[in-house]
Amino acid sequence: MSEADDKKAEIDRALSALCESFPARFLGAETEQALRDENAKILGKKGELSAILKELGRVAPEARKAIGEAANAVKAKVEAGFEARLRELAMRKRDAELNARPFDLTLPARVPLPRGHRHPISIVREELVQIFRSMGFAVFDGPDIDTEENNFGKLGYPPDHPATDMQDTFYTDKGHLLRSHTSNIQIRAMSTMKPPFAFIAPGTVFRRDDDMTHSPMFHQLEAFLVDEHVTLAHLRGVLSEFAARLFGDGTPVRLRPSYFPFVEPGAEVDLGCPFCKDEKTGKRLGCGVCKHTGFIEIMGCGMIHPTVFEACGIDPEKYSGFALGLGLERTAMVRYGIPNLRMMFENDPRFLSQF
Amino acid sequence: MLASYNWLKELCPGLTLSASEVADKLTGAGIEVEGQKPYGAPDECIVVKVVAMRPHPTKSGLRLVTVDTGAAQQEIVCGAPNVPEPGGLVVLAPLGTHLPAKNMTIGKRDIGGIPSEGMLCSDSELGLSEESDGIIILDQGKRGQRVTEVVPNDVIFEIGLTPNRPDGLGHIGLARELAALVGIHWKPPFVVETEGRDTIELLGVKVTIEDGVRCPIYAAAGAINVKIGPSPAWARYRLESLGVRAISNVVDVTNLVMLETGHPMHAFDYDHVQDAHIIVRRARETDAMKTLDGVTRELSEDDLLICDGRGPVALAGVMGGADSEIGDDTTRVLFECAYFDARGVRRTARRHGLHTESSHRFERGVDWDDHAYVLARAVDLTSRLSPGTKPLAGHIVVHGEPLSRKVIRLRHAKIRGLLGVDVPMAEALATLTRLGCVVTSSSAGNATEADVEAPSHRPDLLREVDLIEEVIRVRGIDTVPAELPAVRPTRDVGGREAAFSRVREAAVSLGLSEAVTFAFTTKESLTKLHAPAPSVTLKNPLSELQAVMRTSMLAGLIDAFGNARRHGERSARLFTVGNTYEARNNSSELREAADNLPVETARFAALLAGDAPAYLKKPRPVDVWDALGIAEEMVLRVTGTRADLRRDTSFAHLHPRGSAAIYVHDTLVGRVGPLHPDVLEAFDLGTDVMVVELDVMPLARAQAVRCVPLPRFPRNTRDIALVVSDDVPAGLVLSGVKKAAGDLCEEVSLFDRFTGDSIPKDHASLAFRVVYRSKDKTLTDAEVDAVHTRVISEVNAAYGAKLRA
Ligand SMILES: [Zn+2]
Repeated sequence: MSEADDKKAEIDRALSALCESFPARFLGAETEQALRDENAKILGKKGELSAILKELGRVAPEARKAIGEAANAVKAKVEAGFEARLRELAMRKRDAELNARPFDLTLPARVPLPRGHRHPISIVREELVQIFRSMGFAVFDGPDIDTEENNFGKLGYPPDHPATDMQDTFYTDKGHLLRSHTSNIQIRAMSTMKPPFAFIAPGTVFRRDDDMTHSPMFHQLEAFLVDEHVTLAHLRGVLSEFAARLFGDGTPVRLRPSYFPFVEPGAEVDLGCPFCKDEKTGKRLGCGVCKHTGFIEIMGCGMIHPTVFEACGIDPEKYSGFALGLGLERTAMVRYGIPNLRMMFENDPRFLSQF
Repeated sequence: MLASYNWLKELCPGLTLSASEVADKLTGAGIEVEGQKPYGAPDECIVVKVVAMRPHPTKSGLRLVTVDTGAAQQEIVCGAPNVPEPGGLVVLAPLGTHLPAKNMTIGKRDIGGIPSEGMLCSDSELGLSEESDGIIILDQGKRGQRVTEVVPNDVIFEIGLTPNRPDGLGHIGLARELAALVGIHWKPPFVVETEGRDTIELLGVKVTIEDGVRCPIYAAAGAINVKIGPSPAWARYRLESLGVRAISNVVDVTNLVMLETGHPMHAFDYDHVQDAHIIVRRARETDAMKTLDGVTRELSEDDLLICDGRGPVALAGVMGGADSEIGDDTTRVLFECAYFDARGVRRTARRHGLHTESSHRFERGVDWDDHAYVLARAVDLTSRLSPGTKPLAGHIVVHGEPLSRKVIRLRHAKIRGLLGVDVPMAEALATLTRLGCVVTSSSAGNATEADVEAPSHRPDLLREVDLIEEVIRVRGIDTVPAELPAVRPTRDVGGREAAFSRVREAAVSLGLSEAVTFAFTTKESLTKLHAPAPSVTLKNPLSELQAVMRTSMLAGLIDAFGNARRHGERSARLFTVGNTYEARNNSSELREAADNLPVETARFAALLAGDAPAYLKKPRPVDVWDALGIAEEMVLRVTGTRADLRRDTSFAHLHPRGSAAIYVHDTLVGRVGPLHPDVLEAFDLGTDVMVVELDVMPLARAQAVRCVPLPRFPRNTRDIALVVSDDVPAGLVLSGVKKAAGDLCEEVSLFDRFTGDSIPKDHASLAFRVVYRSKDKTLTDAEVDAVHTRVISEVNAAYGAKLRA
């Protein structure tokens, strides 16, 4: 035997020894890292396979090809073994992970940033604005502090008339007043614009009343439409549509005559109670919210008085219109079952966080 | 207004509706019945006859009364002073009777060793009157009879009248209304004719009206040989049932007539009317008078007085004077029925802080043409309530400025035009007629127009629309069909509502909760906050706590936080939106606003205190950077534009170390920072509080987002940690890095700040991430390295920033 032959035999032996030993070594690796380390020991640049093949130069040239092929076969086997063991370890890890103790889902959720809470008055306000916007009304802004003329005079409140008792008013040192209703906005719109128009005016209003059921500051929303040929039937149409959008399809609307100096005829509006409706018959069964009447008193309305038109320079023979108004606090109380008005101005976090 | 169901039935003989049906009818027509309650004695009470009486053996003041119930005799312990002699009829509440008025049930009692099974009752114990002096003594009834058969049983309506319907303040007005609604007839009570007897001339009274505008009509009638005494039971019960105290027959007459007709009247003791002369005039400086309530009144020249030859005897339409009051010895009575100008009565009543049954009615406008009936009725009732009275026939009447009935043209086309409902003209005119209107001209049948005369009892009927309302009111306003109008589109005016809505949305998304805060506050709060001094002050605040209009939103938020702390809440994340108010003072502002209304500025404010939200670890207190975050994100979320925060120590209410001004596109829109320690102390807050204040409208006007094209080449990122002295703000280093990095630098961000360990004292390690990118090509590492090296040397030169080892 030549030395070259010996070398070849030695390499063959080493290759077959490697081929036989690696599965056990891989099997002995319990972690991915250990497996990779083991793999690198065998196949790495300075690994065992490279060490074996270093001697290749001393093998007869004609035998080198065969050894090369054998080495490649071993390498392929090792690689396959590595991959298989790797998969096995991954699978084992996966199974272990899947079967480990479940997460404690009773720990509090980690909310990215807890959201805040809109005040119920604002929720109702934005909802009502949205309802009227979708019916074609736009918003007309106006000041909280206005003239007596806009708040009372042009609305047809006669001076020294008991009608003004209904609204005990705050006055400022400059002779203005804190508006006692959002009706000053109709005056502002009608005094500055030509009909037709359809506006809503949500806003803050003030009255000198402070007890369990009154707050000196509260909120109203007024809607008014002025055009040719506007009738009471149109007002009722808008009220019905409004009721349907606020409390659901088919909510009944009931009108009762009432008095507001700036409308004629004027009426109170009752909407069918949404809380005691029998879903089958649509009948209202009566509940605490509606005081067992099946109706909720929620707003006032009427046809704009010709005196108001005249005061604003609009010809009442050509134009007619309606106005309606409602209290946002009252609407919020009904909607959310808020038991008393004062809660809405105390800003108690335990209250606010409910909305 | 309280109204009696029985009385309405007397006035409307054809009425078959139950009390509840009447209530529904009236409410449906705008005369709102807010409640109804039964009036009468409890069912169990019976009439008993006094048989014997003896003093209580041990208790002085009590007596043992033996009564006959018809079925048996029993002894009752009674403390009343007025137990009648044997034979008298009284009321017994037997054992087990519930007396709602006293909220008690009669039980077996033992009084001073004597058992008592039942109670002899007074009017007030039975709920028949507010107060009473002793037990009821009946003038009719049989032993054992139910008391409800002897004393009246009624249903009392509580009516909430709108101020335009003074006619509803009397039963005749309500009866007229009810009759029109139901379609039946009503009739006034029968009045005894007084003709052919002694007349009012006998008294020789003279009436002078000096102010005919304030007193257009003054009429009077009289009665003599009157004997003052209590009214009979029916009259007393009627008054008491309607919440009016029965006083004496003549006073009761004026009250009964007022409750019947709605017209307040006054009764004078004619013998106290000096010089037999009634003068209606305005008050003079020298006048003074004591009103019935015992108050001496200082009079204003605007007060209208009823005077006699000596001086004032009544505040016209408001209250009588003490001097000419009906007394026990009055024998000659003069009744006044006048019409006073409503506004004048209201001014006088308000000036004197009086609100009487009389002023309430005159202020709303009484019937100005019913004096003949009113006076005749009063005289008639006097002779019934005071037997032996000699009624004087007729009345005298003196006129001031003439009043007339308004004639209103009603057009059929207008009814349809206003209501959207076709009401036949015949129906409209019939309705108006039933309400007391008189159709003065109309081509009968298919008339398209008519002239309608409004009655004197309906001062609210002034124009055509008022008549149309009557027509639909009686027909039923609820019968109007629903019809959707074609709404022609309109644009928003102002834009505040939309802006507030966006601000709320942003604030809530940032974890803030909304507080609704009052627009008024105290001057002190604003001073403590170094806010502008209030320039809009309330003339008539409810309390000093709400005396001025706010110039800062913070006062309300601090109150809200105070409330939260009282409930044990340590942390707060609150916001509020609303207006602040400042008077215009410079002349250009004044010129701009002809009405000189204050400037209202839409504002947002947020307050952070206590702990920042944390997840399962020890929370950290909120700090200025939380506030900066709110400020930046609010601006970004509302406008889509980045805010520019600039350190600014000029805000006196903010902590000088941490306050910044907030700019958007170089417009100052707000400020942010911790409250100044002095402010915390002034409000006794005891914890750090961060605030953010923003003007809403500039935010709403800020420009919206502009889209830029996406980059085409990859970025190349380098991190760099620099050790910098704490004297150098991080933002300055960041902008230095950015500047040094030049055009290739797309973005620089600070991602870590580290102190301690190997970092020298008063220094911090700031780690920046620099993103390099070219618009034209993919940058090579070498190109980026070159720039980055320059960056390091430049910030070192500029800020002494050293690369962290
Ligand atoms: Zn209900």
